[in-house]
Amino acid sequence: MSETIISIQELSKSFGDHEVLRKIDIDIHVGEIICIVGSSGSGKSTLLRCINKLERQTSGRIMFNGREVRDAQREINEYRSKVGMVFQSFNLFNNMTVLKNCMLCTRKVLHLSKEEAFDRAITHLKAVGMAPYIHAKPSQLSGGQKQRVAIARALCMNPEVLLFDEPTSALDPEMVGEVLNVMKELATTGLTMVIVTHEMAFARDVSTRTVFMDRGYVAEDAPPSQLFSNPQNPRTREFLGRYLAG
Amino acid sequence: MLNFFSIDSPENSFEWMIFLAKKYSDMFWEGTKLTLFIAILGTLLGFVLGYVVGIIQDAKINQGDNIIKKILMRAIKIIASVYVEIFRDTPMIVQAMIVYFGIKMQAHINITPLNAGILVTILNTGAYMAETVRGGIGSIDLGQREGAWAMGMSPMKTMLYIVLPQAFKNIIPEMANTFLTNLKMTSVLNVIAIQELFMAAKTVGGNYYKYFESYLVIAVIYFVLCFVFNRVFLFMEKKMQGKNDYALAVEYMDNQ
Repeated sequence: MSETIISIQELSKSFGDHEVLRKIDIDIHVGEIICIVGSSGSGKSTLLRCINKLERQTSGRIMFNGREVRDAQREINEYRSKVGMVFQSFNLFNNMTVLKNCMLCTRKVLHLSKEEAFDRAITHLKAVGMAPYIHAKPSQLSGGQKQRVAIARALCMNPEVLLFDEPTSALDPEMVGEVLNVMKELATTGLTMVIVTHEMAFARDVSTRTVFMDRGYVAEDAPPSQLFSNPQNPRTREFLGRYLAG
Repeated sequence: MLNFFSIDSPENSFEWMIFLAKKYSDMFWEGTKLTLFIAILGTLLGFVLGYVVGIIQDAKINQGDNIIKKILMRAIKIIASVYVEIFRDTPMIVQAMIVYFGIKMQAHINITPLNAGILVTILNTGAYMAETVRGGIGSIDLGQREGAWAMGMSPMKTMLYIVLPQAFKNIIPEMANTFLTNLKMTSVLNVIAIQELFMAAKTVGGNYYKYFESYLVIAVIYFVLCFVFNRVFLFMEKKMQGKNDYALAVEYMDNQ
């Protein structure tokens, strides 16, 4: 097994009395493509947001390259610059063009020169097929286009890990494919990816490991070949049965 | 009535207005200039203050930071909200008196009425503007910020590059409104003896005991000023909306 990059240890999260995550333990290794599946409300997205520190865990910790990520703002910023995130609702900056969206954080966080930031932006926008749209504003793009730009924007930071929070859930069925294709392409580059998704076929075909979450627990964590064909946990069987039948 | 500019024995109110406006044109002109000066300077600096206070009020204290930073943040936030509360809950005319006489008589600092008047306008505008800015920030979807945070951008930079430019656009009409209010509110500064428009009308009216006509003159001046500024702001707002189309970068069309 290759090196552990992020280690989630006994991570719990409550919103008031409501326990969303209960003592989650997951190790993410370099190069892994982990798909997190499960029904709505099982805590998948909250887990991903905790990994990026957009939610503060109630207890437990997150280790990055062997060091604990503490909650001081500076430390969080530093960590986040290495762990990218792609959101369900894209979250492109509405006041900027596609190009500026891709250059802002490389300029202001990584302090790259204008030329370097531009080259990176163009490289990644080309890779997702969005380079011709550099002068467009987010409001002028379709959902699939926005999400491809969001992926390029995240890649510009050269992240060590890229998190995807239901990247296709807000898209029309015909746009889902174009985004999944970009992600499949990415999966071949060796980038470590953690993907919360409802796309079972994608999880089965692309992930190296599939995590099934249920009511705040990791119910099953196995290679997709095993999880999809021979699920051990009755809840997993029930969930997959509903999905694959439907 | 044939020649407005040669009335020397006015008979009705209209003629009196013309007569007074002409005879005291210097005084009205000086008053107009001072009113504009206080309103423009007070509003602009008030906006700056309002943005700073609004951002402070919106800032979240990160529980993970060290204790000193947290206490400092809390103290600044308390000061900001006390300031906003006080200046929104008292009339500007009273604030003018308290600030002017407070500084002059209590703190024994020699301040001119004009400076005190500008200071009061700044403080008053800042308090209202802070609330407007806070509302403007609140109107921007949280996802905009999360998008920047998730790439390691600090909350302050996120505010500066992502949130404020969008909030600013949303609150332009409210900012224009604030300026027009200030243009008229400077009239209360006559209580600390600033020679602005209202004071000019009071003085002129007293000379001939023609208050109605004298105040009508400045009513016209206020109206014209506000009317013109309003049109200017509407024009600027339209200009700010920007274009609706974009050009494809054809140089990247082929090699995808």
